[in-house]
Amino acid sequence: MSYLPVLILVVIAIALGGAIQILSHVLGPKFPNPMKNSPFECGMPPLGDARHRFSVRFYLVAILFLLFDVEAVFFFPFAVTFREYLGINMFMVLEMAVFVGILLVGYFYVLRKGALEWD
Amino acid sequence: MRIEPWVVLTFCSIIFFIGLAGVLIRRNILIILMSVELMLNAVNLTFVTFSRQLGHLGGQMSVFFIITVAAAESAVGLGLVIAMFRTLRSVDTDQIQLLRE
Amino acid sequence: MDISPVFFYLFAGLAIAFSVLVVLKKSPVASAFCLVVVFFMFAGIYALLDAHLIAAVQVLVYAGAIMVLFVFVIMLLNADSPSFDLGRSHLGLRVGAVAACVVLLGLFVYAFRASPLQVPPGALTAAQIDAAGGNTRVISRLMFSEYILPFELTSVLLLAGIVGAVAIAKRKLGAPEGTA
Repeated sequence: MSYLPVLILVVIAIALGGAIQILSHVLGPKFPNPMKNSPFECGMPPLGDARHRFSVRFYLVAILFLLFDVEAVFFFPFAVTFREYLGINMFMVLEMAVFVGILLVGYFYVLRKGALEWD
Repeated sequence: MRIEPWVVLTFCSIIFFIGLAGVLIRRNILIILMSVELMLNAVNLTFVTFSRQLGHLGGQMSVFFIITVAAAESAVGLGLVIAMFRTLRSVDTDQIQLLRE
Repeated sequence: MDISPVFFYLFAGLAIAFSVLVVLKKSPVASAFCLVVVFFMFAGIYALLDAHLIAAVQVLVYAGAIMVLFVFVIMLLNADSPSFDLGRSHLGLRVGAVAACVVLLGLFVYAFRASPLQVPPGALTAAQIDAAGGNTRVISRLMFSEYILPFELTSVLLLAGIVGAVAIAKRKLGAPEGTA
C-alpha cells in the first residue's frame, strides 16, 4: 500500500510525542509555585488573557488567504501536465493566463480598496 | 472482507444528515455554518465514491468545483456573520427579526 | 470496492463521532476543532478511494484555510462563550427535525442497498488511471480539456467571493454603526 510511509510517520509521531509527555510527567521532579504555573509568555509576566478581541484586519487577511489558496490549488494539476503541451499547442497556457488574469482583477480591487494596508 | 459501495454511501448520508440536523437544531450561526461544511463534505465523498465505482473522473472534477464554492461560501458567509455581529452584538439567529436596522 | 476495511471503518467511525460532537458542543471553538478532525478523516477516506489529489486539496483548503477562517471569526467576535441554544425552547420543533432526518436517512440507506448500480463502468478504472500516469495527471488533462469552462468560471466565482468579502467586511473601524 502506497500510504505505508504516512502510517509509519503518524505512528512514530504519536509514539514519540506521547512518550516524551508521559516520561517527563513520570520522571521529572515537580516543585510547583504560582509563578511557574502561569502561562509562559517569553519570560515576561503574562499580560491579560488570550480571549480579547482581535481586529477585523486579521480577518481580511485570512479571507484573502483562503481565496488565493484555492487559486493556488488549481496550479497543482497545471504544474503536473503543462510540459506535455508546451511545444504542441499553447491553448493550455492561454487558459491558465485567463484564469490568473481574472483573479488579478480581484487582487487589484483589493489593493485599491486598501484592504491590505495596516493602519 | 469487501467494502460494498452502499456502505460508503451510507456513511456519506449519515454525515449529511448529522449536518442537516445541526442546521435545524442549532441557533448559533457559526455552528450552523460548520454544519453546512459537513454537508458539503458528505456530498463530496458521494461524488468520489461514484467516480470510483463508475470509472469516470467527472465526479472528482465536481469535487474540485464544490471545494471552490465552499471556500467562497465560507468567506462571504463569515463576512456576513461579522456584519451581523456588528449590528446585533450576537451570533444567535433568533435575534434576526427585523427587516431593517 | 477493494479498499482496506480496517482503515475505512476507523476513519468512518471517528468521522461520525466527531461530527456528532460538532453539532452538540456548546462552545464554537470546540466545534471547530472537532470539525478539523472530521476533515482529516475525510482526507483519509479520499486517499483510500484513490483520489489522491482531492485528499491533498482537502487538507490544504478545508483543514488548512477554511478552519483557520472559522477560528479567526470566533476569536474576532469573542463569541467563544458557551451558547445555551440547545435548551428547552422549540423542543418539539427540534425533536421533529431530528426525527425527520432519521427517517430520511433510513430512506436513503434503503435506496442505496436496494438498487445496485445499473450503469456499466466507464473507461477509467484504478488500474487504467495508474497506467495513464496517475490520478493527478489524468485529472489535470481532463480539467484543461473537457472541463475548461467550469475551470474558467471558477475564477469568476473566486473574483465575486473576493469582492463580496472585502465589501462586506471592510468598514471603517470606529465609524458609527450602519455607515458603509
